[in-house]
Amino acid sequence: MMWIEVLSRHHEVVGRYRAGDEARIGRAYDNDVVLDDPFVAPHHVRIARDETGALVAEDLGSVNGLYTTESNARVARVPLDGQAILRVGRTLLRVRAPEFAVAPERAVGPVARVWPVIAALSVTVIVLSALTLWLNETHEPQPSRYFLPLLGVVVVVLVWTTGWTVLSRIFTGVAHFDLHLLIALCGLLAFFAFDELADYGSFALSSRGLADYAYVGNWILFAMLCFVHLRAMGPRRGPLKAGVVAAIAAAAIAAQSVSRSDESSTVGQQSYLQGLKPPVFRLKHAQALDGFIGDTTRLKESLDKARLTPPSSRGWFDSDPDSDE
Amino acid sequence: MKRIAAFALAGLLASACAWAQGTDEPSQPPPPAAAPPAAASVPLSSTAEAVYSDARPRLLQVRTLVQSAGGQATLGSAFLVSADGLALTNYHVVSQYALEPSTYRLEYLAPDGTSGPLKLYAIDVANDLAVVQLDRSSLPYFTFDERAVKGDLPKGERLFAMGNPLDLGFTIVEGTYNGLVDKSYNERIHFSGALNPGMSGGPTVTTGGRVAGVNVAKQIGGDLVSFLVPARHAAALLARARTNGPMTPESARAEIGHQLASWQTALYAALAARGFRTATFGPYAVPESAATWFSCWSRTNAGETPKPRAIADQTSCSTQASLFVAGDLDTGAIDLAHAYVRSVDLNAFQFATFVSDLYRYEGFSGRRKRLTPARCQEDFVRADDPTARPMLRVVWCARAYRDFEGIYDVVVSAVTQDRAREALVSRLSMRGASWDNAQALAREFLGSIGFASAP
Repeated sequence: MMWIEVLSRHHEVVGRYRAGDEARIGRAYDNDVVLDDPFVAPHHVRIARDETGALVAEDLGSVNGLYTTESNARVARVPLDGQAILRVGRTLLRVRAPEFAVAPERAVGPVARVWPVIAALSVTVIVLSALTLWLNETHEPQPSRYFLPLLGVVVVVLVWTTGWTVLSRIFTGVAHFDLHLLIALCGLLAFFAFDELADYGSFALSSRGLADYAYVGNWILFAMLCFVHLRAMGPRRGPLKAGVVAAIAAAAIAAQSVSRSDESSTVGQQSYLQGLKPPVFRLKHAQALDGFIGDTTRLKESLDKARLTPPSSRGWFDSDPDSDE
Repeated sequence: MKRIAAFALAGLLASACAWAQGTDEPSQPPPPAAAPPAAASVPLSSTAEAVYSDARPRLLQVRTLVQSAGGQATLGSAFLVSADGLALTNYHVVSQYALEPSTYRLEYLAPDGTSGPLKLYAIDVANDLAVVQLDRSSLPYFTFDERAVKGDLPKGERLFAMGNPLDLGFTIVEGTYNGLVDKSYNERIHFSGALNPGMSGGPTVTTGGRVAGVNVAKQIGGDLVSFLVPARHAAALLARARTNGPMTPESARAEIGHQLASWQTALYAALAARGFRTATFGPYAVPESAATWFSCWSRTNAGETPKPRAIADQTSCSTQASLFVAGDLDTGAIDLAHAYVRSVDLNAFQFATFVSDLYRYEGFSGRRKRLTPARCQEDFVRADDPTARPMLRVVWCARAYRDFEGIYDVVVSAVTQDRAREALVSRLSMRGASWDNAQALAREFLGSIGFASAP
């Protein structure tokens, strides 16, 4: 006796047939297992026990042949250990003998309480967004200035989560909306934390670079978020997924760096006091006035170099106010 | 016709812009209630007639032509000052040619219809003057009025400005001498008469037909408020040109750079000599220049509706010392601005955002053909004596001039860091300064920001 299982592309069992010690598989109706796959021969495979009693699959002379998922080599005859997956035409099959050892019973644990966590995270995200808006509010407080951005945050999270849920359902058959929502919220919190850290760090350490290059960190965070979503869809092909998101992040960082360098070579830096924070956030030791003035000499040298390179051709982001003369 | 007028307009608009700092504020002192030029009585009119008929063969129109196309780019006026064909005009009339001699050429057109090429002989950027040379000689010419050269003309003296406004033909305009402009570092005569685009570089003469000044600009937004370069600068340039001989077109750019450099050296030395006085802004004491050629304007947002959540009292002082270099480059202006900001009901974070936005839209402008992109440096700057001076956060941004070595635009902004809901935001903007002068003035400026009284 044996069980013949028809598997989906993701190796989930979609049909299971009980057979005797010998089974024939094909498209014809005199087979033990009938497959509706046009790439399967009428009589394609025979499964039987060999002289040692082990299960073996044999090609019955089909055009498309018999393969295992382990290698791309066509096989005429292949022993079956219960793990091997056969490819017949475009159908995946697995054969298991009655003596196949199954995994022990898993105990039913307490139901994972993911929704309270999601609720707590959602509230945190909303509160943090509102707090950020409030801390930058310099006009009369108006509810509309809070509702619209907050609504925006909610919509973005929902659209993002739904996207991953749909992908997950298509490729793995399981939606996992709660899991993707959890990941999305954690990701958003990470973005918040990073942005504020870069913002305050740039003031505290008096480093324009920290704010100017925050986009690098943002893209890395974005790539990590995508990777965690992909991981949640299934543990397979980990290195490939990591490679793809890393490549996308690298391409995005490169593209933004190029556009930034174009901008800095045409427009230059802005001359206002940007990103001020309350004075208590200062971490850097202040300089003496003479030291600061003396340091500007380095700036002069870079300007002297810059004046010898001709101005770049006019870009669409040209900010010259009177350049249409 | 319209096209010509448009180009001519651009020609003098440049000069007017070089003079009028901002058109949104009355940057010139209000014009004295000068009697309007009297309705032409018989003797007056005959004087003008005599002056013009005498002056006519000595006047020229100066045209800057595009080398390849041959069409006119800008128009101005000029007047002969020597028998060997030297004529005076404004620098801004010939600036395109001076900066790009391979793209443009100069041509004169005399009232009798003759025309010919002009050679650039000498320039004086600071006084907006240039000497050009005709290919003809033995022509009648103007002489300078002795009293005007000495600066002895009485206020109210009748003057006649001549030139070719808007390419309409040579014209004579009556007006009144009103002395030198008070708040100007560069000497300019306030002439109450109608100067129009195209008359730049033309002579303004006394009733005797002798030159008192050179037409240069008019006040946009004023009525009959026009400006002349005093005759003594024109006479001095002519004498200098005679000694030094003609310049080559290729050396003009270097000469402009050289003149800008020495002009700003003198300006910053004069500024340092006048010194700073202290003004009080809330708990802070700030430096304001004691030089008379600064014109200061204050504003506050206290009366705005809805009620502002932080009150900003701003005072901004700027010099009327800007120089026309090219149609897209004015330089030389110095601005000092202070704003005392205090929170009404903003918390420390909101207040910091408010202060960040205060000077956000008053950055650099100007074309990158002339200037490099800005580069900035920022840091916290501590006082040597923390009881007398607050800690500052300072941003120093600068751009270099591409055409002239060693000249920069520098903007220094500073905000006090000693209080969470109160701050002084100061800004010093220097155009066309050498790095050393910018450093020296910035050091003086930043080092003078202190507490009004020691706590």
